Amino acid sequence: MKHEWRNLSADRAPLAISLLLGAVIAYGAFNGSRWVKFQRQTIASALTEERGRYAEIREEMVQVEAGEKKVSAFADPRLPQSFGRSMGLRYAYLPPAALGSLAIGQSDLYPYYFKVSTGSKQSFLNSDEIENPAHLLAGRFDLAFVILFLYPLVILAFSYNIVSGEKEAGTLALTLSQPVSLRTLVLAKVALRSLFVVALAVLLSIAGVLVGGADLSAEGSGLRLLFWIGITAAYGAFWFALAIAVNAAGRGSATNAIALAGLWLLFLVVIPSALNATVKSSYPVPSRVEMIQAMRVAGEDSTRQSSQLLARYLEDHPELAPKSKDAPPDFGTLLIAVNEATERSVQPVIDRFDSQVAAQQQMVDRFRYLSPAIVAQAAFYDLAGSSAHRYAHFLSQASTFHAQWRGFLTPRILKKEKLTPGDLDKLPTYAFREEETGAVSARLLAALIGLLAPVALVLLPALRWMSRYPVVG
Amino acid sequence: MIFRIARKEMTEMIRDGRFRVSAAIVFALLAGSLLLGWHHYREIRAQHIAAQQATREQWLKQGNKNPHSAAHYGVYAFKPTAPLSLVDHGTDPYTGVAVWLEAHKQNEFKYRPAQDATAVQRFGELTGATVLQLLLPLLIVLLTFNAFAGERELGTLRQLVSLGVKPSDLALGKAVGVAGSLLLLLIPATIAGSIAITMASGGEETAAALPRAGWMSLGYLLYFGAFIGGSLAVSAFASSSRAALIALLGFWMFNGLIAPRAASDIAKSLRPTPSAFEFGQKMELALKNGADGHDPADARNKKLEEDLLKKYKVDKVEALPVNFAGMRLQEGENHGNEVFDHAYADLWSVFAQQDAVHRVLALAAPGLAARSISMGFAGSDFPQHAHFAKAAEDYRRMLQRTMNADLIRNASNTAPYFAGDDLWAKVPAFEYTAPAANWVAAQQTSAFGILALWCCAAVAAAVWTARRMQVY
Repeated sequence: MKHEWRNLSADRAPLAISLLLGAVIAYGAFNGSRWVKFQRQTIASALTEERGRYAEIREEMVQVEAGEKKVSAFADPRLPQSFGRSMGLRYAYLPPAALGSLAIGQSDLYPYYFKVSTGSKQSFLNSDEIENPAHLLAGRFDLAFVILFLYPLVILAFSYNIVSGEKEAGTLALTLSQPVSLRTLVLAKVALRSLFVVALAVLLSIAGVLVGGADLSAEGSGLRLLFWIGITAAYGAFWFALAIAVNAAGRGSATNAIALAGLWLLFLVVIPSALNATVKSSYPVPSRVEMIQAMRVAGEDSTRQSSQLLARYLEDHPELAPKSKDAPPDFGTLLIAVNEATERSVQPVIDRFDSQVAAQQQMVDRFRYLSPAIVAQAAFYDLAGSSAHRYAHFLSQASTFHAQWRGFLTPRILKKEKLTPGDLDKLPTYAFREEETGAVSARLLAALIGLLAPVALVLLPALRWMSRYPVVG
Repeated sequence: MIFRIARKEMTEMIRDGRFRVSAAIVFALLAGSLLLGWHHYREIRAQHIAAQQATREQWLKQGNKNPHSAAHYGVYAFKPTAPLSLVDHGTDPYTGVAVWLEAHKQNEFKYRPAQDATAVQRFGELTGATVLQLLLPLLIVLLTFNAFAGERELGTLRQLVSLGVKPSDLALGKAVGVAGSLLLLLIPATIAGSIAITMASGGEETAAALPRAGWMSLGYLLYFGAFIGGSLAVSAFASSSRAALIALLGFWMFNGLIAPRAASDIAKSLRPTPSAFEFGQKMELALKNGADGHDPADARNKKLEEDLLKKYKVDKVEALPVNFAGMRLQEGENHGNEVFDHAYADLWSVFAQQDAVHRVLALAAPGLAARSISMGFAGSDFPQHAHFAKAAEDYRRMLQRTMNADLIRNASNTAPYFAGDDLWAKVPAFEYTAPAANWVAAQQTSAFGILALWCCAAVAAAVWTARRMQVY
């Protein structure tokens, strides 16, 4: 091993490759932390906007109450329907996770804050972030990309000719004339290289993330960082194992390089895109175009029958009926009934979406083991908090907050009560709670096993083939 | 001589098992991806036609109501997919599919199809474009890396040169040979693709797709030409076929996988995209206070009222011969339109500048130029999304004007007013024609220029290095 190290350090190519790896890791970490900072700033300015608006509303409430200012019903902050639909909206948001800068993941595609109103969920759930779609298509140059795509290349560059190179140089037969088996030699060579490359990748990426301002004091982030190390190491081990297996076949260096490039293409491009296509055609998501139509038709139907709907709604909720029976229902009250009916009739359509997307996710979860790259990608997104899992967790919290928001305002609309500045302090507030560390760790552990198993699966037979390696000829 | 060499190369390749296997794989993937694309296109097209009819129907049969209520009800515009998007989805999965055209507001497109997919999508989609931009260049690399280096190692290069074969003829002959073998693969695929397009869409669409397909093919041919020339040059220059292979594989990965992502981040840091929040806040402020911040809405309405009273020489709004609400609404629309024009022009120019950065980077990675050309002629790039968005917005403005004009002319200033089906029918259905191939070609001039430069430089480099290469 010492001898190998001397060999490696004498060669200029490894040094150049390591420098290159260092540079792309630094660039990836920089991009990730910039994105996290961007998201944090956006959320912070949204919350500042909310605070400013609330201060104005408080002041306006006092002025309108005192008769100093006249406003139309749509702009009266004391009316719960105007307040809840447009003026007093509160933000529900998904802050970037502690290790968010490791993987931008899906976080550039999904909205990370909503302005929650008393309107239907569909009316505020799509506050997409603006982005040049060409950038969404290409994806981002983050650390996850570096580890998924480039780090295997560095590994392959170090190991594609691990045996064949020595054979071609004529040193293999010489070395093996010593009391050392080919298996030991290969393992020693790989051990050295893998220690070097993996340590480089892990240390540099941790350094990059820390410099980028990751918060290690957050609960569970130390454990997640350990998983990052473990998964990076296991994923690297898989590529080293492949290189050994290809070398064991006993072909020349050029053939080995072609075979390994082909495998890289297979695991990183062909299998993922084929899986994507299969998943999409097995569980096709209904078209959003149809959903829009369904929502529109439902909305119209319920508007048409709004007075009947209101009567039915008040039958269901007699405690909310206004005291005098003859008072004509106002716009705000009608709207509640209409919204509820519309949502009820659109719900099946939305459920169909959710169930198809969930089925797709399940299928991906099951078949991701076909390519270690997919396993590693899912794990990286998960531990960086930019996965579909954490997003679903956020959506459910936004939903809960939406229900609380309505729960606070709807009774007041129906009872035709007016809001006071004191009510502003009683309004439900939103705070994001992270997913439990246990649930995340269980998924990450499964990923780690899913990566180590193929390593064993490739390495063990490869080492057996090694004994039949044609050292000469 | 060139053609004799080309024929020898082709025959050798066709007889070579490795070529046959890899060509078969690439062909199968190409055919599979075209089939998927065809299926997808047909489905989206049917949905689009149905939805477009439904939204029109809803508009026409909305019953009697105030024109402004109708303006709020509005219509939806659904983005059509172009026939050639079956080869290249481009940015379609990442732009919204529908926009609501309502009163007072230019809305954003909603529902990006990629949001309804899993994270595996981010590895890239299996489309004709993936195969053509990523896998075919790899096939070229594998076919050519040992074109000279391999012959040198076998010693046949020395024999060839001793026979008096000019090295430049050799380089060109080999290039033509590789190109010929690839065409054996590409021509059937193109024919199959054309049949698929004809079968999936109407005659008019097919006619419009033809020149686009021609331009797109030209782009790809230049791209492949660049790869063939470049690989031959590297093969002639490299000390061994192994070194040639490593260098070429490295470039292939840089070009196809690293450059697109690096380009996104470089473009973003040179010309940052504003956040949706910032964009929205700015727009809201401009709507409230006027585009320059000194023209608040209340003052505008007051001035309009005074002007109208003066013009018609009456002393109160109720006595006006025109409907004041209608005037005020149209005035609001005019003001809003100015604000939207500013805001979207700014945003789209950011995107255009980012795309310009991509094109400059294409000088280092020709794949970026090929991607731009492919998406452009497939009709699935951002400029064509913006073209549709502009058409939809123009339609929205026309609809608002029609509604407000009716209010101004017919509504009373004192009593409620309702309009009926005749007014709704006055608004023509929304028809969208995608820009012609020439429009796209004008946008892709620099991308073509860069690819042509790459292609010429690569072939010249192949000839030049072949003349100077070591034969043993």
